[in-house]
Amino acid sequence: MVQRLMQAVLVVSLLGAVYMIVTMTVAGDRRLLPGGQTTDAHHQLEMACETCHGKSVFAGAEAAEKALNKNCRQCHEDELKAARDSHSRKRFRNPRMAQYWDLLDARRCTSCHIEHRPEITRAGAVTVAMDFCVACHSEGEQDIRTTRASHAGLDFTTCASAGCHNFHDNQALFEDFLLAHAGRPEPVRPAVHALSARYLARPVSADKALGREDAVAPPHALAEPGALDHWVESGHAPAGINCTDCHVPRPARDAPDTEALTHWIDVPQMGVCMECHKPQARTFVLGRHGMRQHPRIAKPRNTDSESGRAVPAWMVRWLRDPTVPAAMTVGEARLPMHADADPSSSLGCSTCHRAHALDMARAAVNACASCHDDAHTRSYFDSPHHALWLREQAGEAPPGSGVSCASCHMPKLEYRGQVRTNHNQNDNLRPNEKMIRSVCLDCHSLGFSLDALADAALIRQNFAGRPRVHVPSIDWAIARSLSNPEPPEN
Amino acid sequence: MLTFTEELLLLLGDEEGLFLPVKEHAFECALAGAILMDLAFAFRIDTDLQALVVTDPTLTGNPMLDYVLAKIAARKDITDTPAWIRILATEDAVVIREQALDSLVERRILKRQHNRFLGVFRSACYPTLDDRPVQAIKSRIEAVISDDIPDPRDLALICLVDACQILPDLFPEWEAESTDSRLDLLRRMDLIGRELTGTITEIQDRIIRAARAQAERFRKTLLSLAAVGSATVIATLLVPRIGVPDRWGPSLQGLLWFDGFWKQFSGYLLLAFSLAGLTVAVAIKKQLLAWVSGSHRWRLSHIVLGLGCVFILFLHTGFRLGTNLDAVLMGSYLTVLLSGALVGMVVGGAPRLLKQVSLHRIGTARRTLLWVHGLAICLLPALLIVHVLSVYLY
Repeated sequence: MVQRLMQAVLVVSLLGAVYMIVTMTVAGDRRLLPGGQTTDAHHQLEMACETCHGKSVFAGAEAAEKALNKNCRQCHEDELKAARDSHSRKRFRNPRMAQYWDLLDARRCTSCHIEHRPEITRAGAVTVAMDFCVACHSEGEQDIRTTRASHAGLDFTTCASAGCHNFHDNQALFEDFLLAHAGRPEPVRPAVHALSARYLARPVSADKALGREDAVAPPHALAEPGALDHWVESGHAPAGINCTDCHVPRPARDAPDTEALTHWIDVPQMGVCMECHKPQARTFVLGRHGMRQHPRIAKPRNTDSESGRAVPAWMVRWLRDPTVPAAMTVGEARLPMHADADPSSSLGCSTCHRAHALDMARAAVNACASCHDDAHTRSYFDSPHHALWLREQAGEAPPGSGVSCASCHMPKLEYRGQVRTNHNQNDNLRPNEKMIRSVCLDCHSLGFSLDALADAALIRQNFAGRPRVHVPSIDWAIARSLSNPEPPEN
Repeated sequence: MLTFTEELLLLLGDEEGLFLPVKEHAFECALAGAILMDLAFAFRIDTDLQALVVTDPTLTGNPMLDYVLAKIAARKDITDTPAWIRILATEDAVVIREQALDSLVERRILKRQHNRFLGVFRSACYPTLDDRPVQAIKSRIEAVISDDIPDPRDLALICLVDACQILPDLFPEWEAESTDSRLDLLRRMDLIGRELTGTITEIQDRIIRAARAQAERFRKTLLSLAAVGSATVIATLLVPRIGVPDRWGPSLQGLLWFDGFWKQFSGYLLLAFSLAGLTVAVAIKKQLLAWVSGSHRWRLSHIVLGLGCVFILFLHTGFRLGTNLDAVLMGSYLTVLLSGALVGMVVGGAPRLLKQVSLHRIGTARRTLLWVHGLAICLLPALLIVHVLSVYLY
């Protein structure tokens, strides 16, 4: 009997292997295959392997790596360009840089970032030792310890850990920027975020304003408690956005009301919001809240006509690539979440803004704190930033002077002359010096900002206190400018 | 008339022409004892508690008996019965066996048939052409064990069969308790029997002692190796994985666990060791490398290969258990190694365990562990195929 059981186990496991091989090469769920977790950013789309990996699994190792790097660039190139990448691929593709290719090949993202290796994945998804600068900057004309007197004797482990350098984005360290802000005093209190103030003061036309009696909706929707009140008080009614503009699909929307209501949808999807709020939607899909709707995420293979490997209909039932869920859920988050936050709650526009109330104040603070439960978030409510926020909400301080979660993580940006909210909350998050230009300098000096952002304990306390570390970038830039009158090279 | 060696070989054969699993040391000693018994029954040698002496150097006409008789006569310095059993078991067991098989083939009782396992390993089997001699021998044994007054020759044969511990295989319908009591009685009868029977008993006793001494050495080695294997596998589960230094530049850990080339090297080395271990196990089971299964050397080599696998597994993973299917593969592999090592410990520690638990329980534990070993092995091919392909395809 045992022998038969062994034969059965062997046969069943081999059939399982055949199934897995088919899933690898044709179609099917491959979530059991990865030998290691993906990084925090990519775990949301790891069921769509082709988003990062090449489409042909039979490509050679070199071709597969090329495809991998190409896919990295397709999603991250704009971000790197905006950051004025210090080690851009373009710079290192120059044959004059060939001497560095063997040391640390900056032409390939995979030289420093390899997925599925959680054990050696450091901050910023870096999979090489954090003193990697030593590879190129420890000898010859690139030996930073000899070319910069201020750097003599420094250890390479401190390059990226002391709040000074980043491999890609060093905008906070440009010497002309440092010198321009050197000695500049702290702004006068209460300081105001200029773009926030402009946004809050934007004019609203009264011509299109709608009232309760103008609402076009079926009786059951009108009877929903609070819905009508919230709509009237929101920005939609004053802007002339009626119920049917969201709850009825576009072709039927322009039909007479009675006909339009036959197409009524109780819970419209996010795409409806995107019709009007394109800039917000475009940035939302770039951040971790909305990245599952990023257009670059690969489609399931068995529906991909380009591949030429269409799966016969009878097999589709068994061999189906999992589709990436439409939205990230609280339960899938790797950051600490509140125990009482609904794990199935997915992230869309109405998660933070509510369907009808569109409460901006809630979206800016309480929506975040209703899910996120880390030390930084918890400390916010005891921080000076929160005190400013309360004062602004109470009308005791000018508009734009309060600091909410969104003030820093979803800062306002100017888009075609209009002020919009950047819904990519990861845009200025890492390295955190990115936040200096877009946020901190509105209210703080550069020196204070550099020091505060380099102080991990202070960040955990949500900046309730003074920085206990000092980043000497400005001091060194001044000293260098005094000894070298040539304009700084960035 | 068949010699003791020939009778013993006929009893060991099964329907497919293979041989019952007998411990190599017991079998070799039984062959040596059988040839001495043939000489004793031919009145060419005499033994007592102290010595073995040639009483009549006249040739018997059987080349093998004459060769052994000449060998004993030539070495007058060795008069110790156990020493001769050891010498013949070590130096001449293979020749004795081959000569007896040739004789049986010549007499058309057995047929020699050559096979190739997996097209590589050559093996011979001996299907029975005429089963009347085997049935006659079994009838004699059955009659003696049942109740009949034993003939000295039958008694001698029973001693040899008993030394090989194959009576339960030959007569599975017998109840162990009644058989054991009858065998004890037969042994007592031997002790008070005639001089010849006494000699046979003495040889049988020597066979058992020699076999036990050899078995003891084997068990100690097996126990030590198995204990090391078990401890290492358990350590693999418990010891925290070894980290990689956070400094730029090549490191041994980084090369072993994160460098593509060395991961492949250790992976394929592990696969080679695993296949070698499996081959040895199959060879023992199918009697490809040794004439009988249960060979000491091959068993030990199997467990040494297992130990090698544990070491290479460490080089390949650095105590990392992996995730998803890799974790299942690691779990199955560690189950194979641990259950194998535990079987070794049960077999090696059986004499000591017998003081605390019954033989039945030890047997049950051994069988259960072997089932687990086998079942976990059955999972490995599929998991390994998926593991290797997923590494190359993604």
